[in-house]
Amino acid sequence: MSNFTHSLSNSWLKLPHSRRQFIQYLGWTTAGILAACTAPSNRTADPNQPVRIGAMYLLTGGFATYGEFARDGINLAVEEINTQGGINRRSVEVLFEHEADSVQTARRLVLEENVDFLIGIDSSGNAEALVPTIPELGRILMVTHAASPKVTGDLCNPYVFRCSVNGPQNATAGAEIAAKEDYLKWTTIGPDYAFGHQSWEYFQQAAQARKPGIKFLEKTAFPKLGAEDYNSFIAVLQRSGAEAIWCSLWGNDLVNFVRQSRQFGLFEQFPVYMELGAAMEVLQALGEEMPIGQWVGTRYWWQTPNTEINRNFVQQFRDRYNTYPSYNAENAYVGLHLLAAAANEAGTTETDGVIAALEGRTYEAPMGRLTLRAEDHQAVVDVPWGQTAEDSEYDFRLLNPIQVATGTSVTRSVTATGCQIS
Amino acid sequence: MFSTFLIFFLNGLAQGMLLFLIAAGLTLIFGVMGVLNFAHGSLYMLGAYLTFWIATQHQLNFGLALLLAPLIVAVVGGVIEILFLRRIYQQNVSFQLLLTFAFVLLINDGVRLLWGSAPLTTPLPQYFVGTVELSNQTYPIYHLLIIVIAPLISMILWLLLTRTKLGKILRAVAQDPIMAGALGINVPRVFTGVFMLGAGLGGVAGVLAAPLRTLSPGMGDQVIIESFIVTVMGGLGSLPGSLIGALILGQVNSFGILIAPRAQVAFPFILMAITLLLRPRGLFGQSQRK
Repeated sequence: MSNFTHSLSNSWLKLPHSRRQFIQYLGWTTAGILAACTAPSNRTADPNQPVRIGAMYLLTGGFATYGEFARDGINLAVEEINTQGGINRRSVEVLFEHEADSVQTARRLVLEENVDFLIGIDSSGNAEALVPTIPELGRILMVTHAASPKVTGDLCNPYVFRCSVNGPQNATAGAEIAAKEDYLKWTTIGPDYAFGHQSWEYFQQAAQARKPGIKFLEKTAFPKLGAEDYNSFIAVLQRSGAEAIWCSLWGNDLVNFVRQSRQFGLFEQFPVYMELGAAMEVLQALGEEMPIGQWVGTRYWWQTPNTEINRNFVQQFRDRYNTYPSYNAENAYVGLHLLAAAANEAGTTETDGVIAALEGRTYEAPMGRLTLRAEDHQAVVDVPWGQTAEDSEYDFRLLNPIQVATGTSVTRSVTATGCQIS
Repeated sequence: MFSTFLIFFLNGLAQGMLLFLIAAGLTLIFGVMGVLNFAHGSLYMLGAYLTFWIATQHQLNFGLALLLAPLIVAVVGGVIEILFLRRIYQQNVSFQLLLTFAFVLLINDGVRLLWGSAPLTTPLPQYFVGTVELSNQTYPIYHLLIIVIAPLISMILWLLLTRTKLGKILRAVAQDPIMAGALGINVPRVFTGVFMLGAGLGGVAGVLAAPLRTLSPGMGDQVIIESFIVTVMGGLGSLPGSLIGALILGQVNSFGILIAPRAQVAFPFILMAITLLLRPRGLFGQSQRK
């Protein structure tokens, strides 16, 4: 019980000013004592013991390519951190786990493996299940992929941070690009779960605000996640009367959709704005089958920004893995570096100290300058979009021209997120 | 109006025919051997990856893939039957489910080891690229090709089962393996042959689907669910039943998107539930197998 007292933060010990406040404080204090008794506390920092990090990604199954890219990014970051002296002169060690059963897996990593930090989560569904249970574990979770707005919105809590671009930021950036063109009638195709429907909603909100007179059709297409046959959805789009299409399909689904759309000449009829069309796994799978001149978005594009940090990162990644870093690789890489930098500044791996160091932290990432907003723990960072272009030196499409939406203009206000941390 | 109908009808037809090709092997194996092969979707996937291996990685002819890939898949099926399945025919059916499910995991991870987990694509062969004009709109030739090939294969299978001596043997083994054995038919060899044929059919479907679908280590898992719906609807073990089931499911999927897009996801399952309520043995199912 030696770590018992530090878990009660100072604010809880202040004297209450009113009866109502007293009851509130009583409630919190009780909760705090309970938490302190049940939550495992960080081990005392033994300089000979490595700092352990539990990483949870989709490492098997149909989406394993995401987990593998994340693992590559993290392993690169571990190597860099350890050659630069580790975290508080302790070396860093990462345990990788498949993220299915995220709640159980996280609990096991903390209780049995004694990890100091948690990082990861590809699937929004897994993230939404896991995030509310993180406070009882008393560890920080750095989310590096799952884009659900709830992670830094309704479900936010002091222990959870997200260093990657979220769904609303992605869609708003797309709307900013789309508003520059003359298309006034839009429809959408997206996966039939929260992400697809939210993407269309945020796109509408953002486009409405940026382009008066823009219209959104009732006729939309929401195939189920993992649908293999898109032919009839394509026929619906072709008969919708739209001038342009917002597409939030991703991964294998997007690859399927693009290939089948080509056969029906969809891209000759409509510009299709693909929210995650510039993900490396999509571009590499499609190769020359990705049509030219379509606007595509991503959460990091290795060509931009043209900074030394980014060029170095891409070079290191290519030297090591012989491929270009995907957004998931970069986001995971940044997530671990952020944890290390914060823990080094705090001079401890204790959760409270590192949380304080992470809140409002600015970091020069390969993807550009990133700030972890103190109020909701969401990264605010520029979001790249670009038009697909041919380049004879590459066997996949590049982006040219690239347009970058600034982080502050695509991020919702804290009140709009519904997050209340303090 | 007519042209809209035509497009959705053709889309449904192409989807149904591809589904039938996958379900045909599944239903054949069940019909003769009484084995519900969970790994059938994975064999389909293997066919697709072998197409990538032959046509894209080695730049060989797509026709060669259509010949070679199903053969390799059939051999894999043969190995599964001889070394593993054969040992558990006497046991409870749940052993078969566990074993074939184990092969789902093994084949999925095997594919991952060989080709990685990133999505892959193999292009449409050059001679099938293109569209034809149908009622003022274009339609891809390759889809029409599938609409033609699938019934052709089903016709060959049907002739094989009903008009040849081999078919007679298969039907005899299906009806009463013990009696067939007593009459001098090498039942274990027939079982191996049927399993290889069924696996090969899954391989053919995989080859034909490869230019239309994204290749990923999970691509068989989705397909196996729809093939099960088709075989259950048609009556387990009935080839014509699978054909009708697949055609109905294809049309329901296609027109469902046009008429009730929000409810479309549930239609295949509603369809299966209704079939099972009204006719528990499926459209063409035999009553009570022994």
